[in-house]
Amino acid sequence: MQTDWGNWGYVALFLLIATGFAFIPLVLSPLIRPRNPNPVKQATYECGIETVGTSWIRYYAGFYVYALVFVVFDVETIFLYPWAVAFGLLNWFALIEMAIFIGILLVGLVYAWKKQALRWW
Amino acid sequence: MPAITTDLNIALLAPELALAVVALVVIGLDLVLPAERKSLLAYLGVLGLIAAGALAVGLGGSTQVGYAGTWIVDPVAIFFKLLFLIAAAFVLLSSIDYIRRRTDYQGEYYAVLLFATTGMLMMASARELITLYLALELTSISLYVLAGFLKGEKTSAEAGIKYLVLGAVSSAALLYGMALTFGLTGTTVLPDIARQIAANRVETSPLLMVALVLVAAGFGFKVAAVPFHLWVPDVYQGAPTPVTAFLSVASKASGFVILLRVFTVAFAGLTPVWAGLFAVLAAVTMTVGNVGALRQTNVKRLMGYSSIGQAGYALMAFAAFLPGQSPAVNSATAATNSATVSALLFFLLAYALTNLAVFAAIIHVSNRLGSDELADYAGLSGRAPVLSLALLLGLLSLVGLPPMVGFWSKIYLFYSVFNAGVIWLVVVALLNSALAASYYLRIIHAMYLRPAPVDKPLAADAPLGLALAASVIAVVVLGLLPSPVFQAAASAAANLRP
Repeated sequence: MQTDWGNWGYVALFLLIATGFAFIPLVLSPLIRPRNPNPVKQATYECGIETVGTSWIRYYAGFYVYALVFVVFDVETIFLYPWAVAFGLLNWFALIEMAIFIGILLVGLVYAWKKQALRWW
Repeated sequence: MPAITTDLNIALLAPELALAVVALVVIGLDLVLPAERKSLLAYLGVLGLIAAGALAVGLGGSTQVGYAGTWIVDPVAIFFKLLFLIAAAFVLLSSIDYIRRRTDYQGEYYAVLLFATTGMLMMASARELITLYLALELTSISLYVLAGFLKGEKTSAEAGIKYLVLGAVSSAALLYGMALTFGLTGTTVLPDIARQIAANRVETSPLLMVALVLVAAGFGFKVAAVPFHLWVPDVYQGAPTPVTAFLSVASKASGFVILLRVFTVAFAGLTPVWAGLFAVLAAVTMTVGNVGALRQTNVKRLMGYSSIGQAGYALMAFAAFLPGQSPAVNSATAATNSATVSALLFFLLAYALTNLAVFAAIIHVSNRLGSDELADYAGLSGRAPVLSLALLLGLLSLVGLPPMVGFWSKIYLFYSVFNAGVIWLVVVALLNSALAASYYLRIIHAMYLRPAPVDKPLAADAPLGLALAASVIAVVVLGLLPSPVFQAAASAAANLRP
């Protein structure tokens, strides 16, 4: 079988550039940056707020359900954007199809709602 | 040459769409039904399965291809769809009491079971790797949930986790194999893969061998072939018993339909390679399954090993495939291969009905005695004579004794493998059958010859009794009159075209 190695060359090139893009700053920055460590600078940075306690604590499991429901609607928007952009070219069929899709998602939302997944305990 | 249509013919998806809609309705109704009436959802599910079956039968007869070659509705697809639907209906009926006793989430259970069935219906019609993979994942993810459905029980949670982790690994292997196949052929449509393999002369490419083995490994997990069987004992034991029945029947058959599609169509040019591979797999699988079952004391675990052994028999069909099906069709070869496929179809259907009967009985015992240990089956014949008789008939069919359907299915299968010239494998299978008889008879021995600890009779369970009676009657009637169904399998097999 004839393989077009030229295309794989591009892949290799991209791999090289991508790896370099990550590594060169890592190697370069210690060499050129000023070095004056102090306690405040070495503290864990979290959005500018002082950190309290350790991160090994129990999280509320409710977050997990929110995350799941969020993902459902996240995926919905992924489908809705291209559909909305191409809507001018599409016909009634696409409108009905999207209505069915959203309808199926709505069943999921109603389910989550009725099962009190949206309630903050 | 059958008429080929490539348009978006939504009628070709009718059974799948109907079942998906019913599953959504089940989820919706679950929210408004009071807890004590949730078993209505199971009956609604059965109605949905019957409707999907009617739609599937309505599609039957001719071969239709749609959706740019990704979807095929042919007699083999219809045959498997009906098998899945029957299995799902029996499992739903058997589940009602079991699930009501053990969980509050009854509606979800029925809906997820229907989604798993929808995925299987799709697997039967997939004619392209991505469609096939999506259908496989819809089924698998639903089954992971079902295996771990009784999350409060340690064994069920363990079953769910093990199934999920090992299933994910096998999915990864399968995807890698599919990706390599795509890389070598530039297409995911199964007949086009065969054409590209022939046109580019890559039959002997080592990369294609790697792809073949990876795909075989992914499907081998699904049918529980050795060495991809390690999940079976623990998952079968831990999963809710109706789910175990579903896994051992429908999930296994769905593995065989995709094996059939991918290997006899896409990899048709490599038949000598994979036939040898499957010969070894079949011999090892049936031996490991049957030897493993010998010393089991838990009935569900025993049936798990038994299902490995039965998968080994079914895999023999793939060892018996003769090369040269396409493009140069030799009519004698084609006839032999067609006979092999029809024997496989009949074997899977017979195994499905038999195993459903056996599992319905196990579920009932599990509900009434709260145990799946073989020791607790002692003296069951006195406490539940009808149930014991049904279980006896089912087990004898698994052994392969006449006049049960298991006898004919084994005869046809072994004969077609013998005809194809793989005689050593038939010898191994016969030895295995003798070995397998001993552990099936152990259950019968416990039921009929051991004294019962107490004399209390077991209470009845109407829907489960219906499923049990229907499957046992099917096992016996098909054992006495196998020819109509065998004719159906034969004509489906004769119409198997890429």
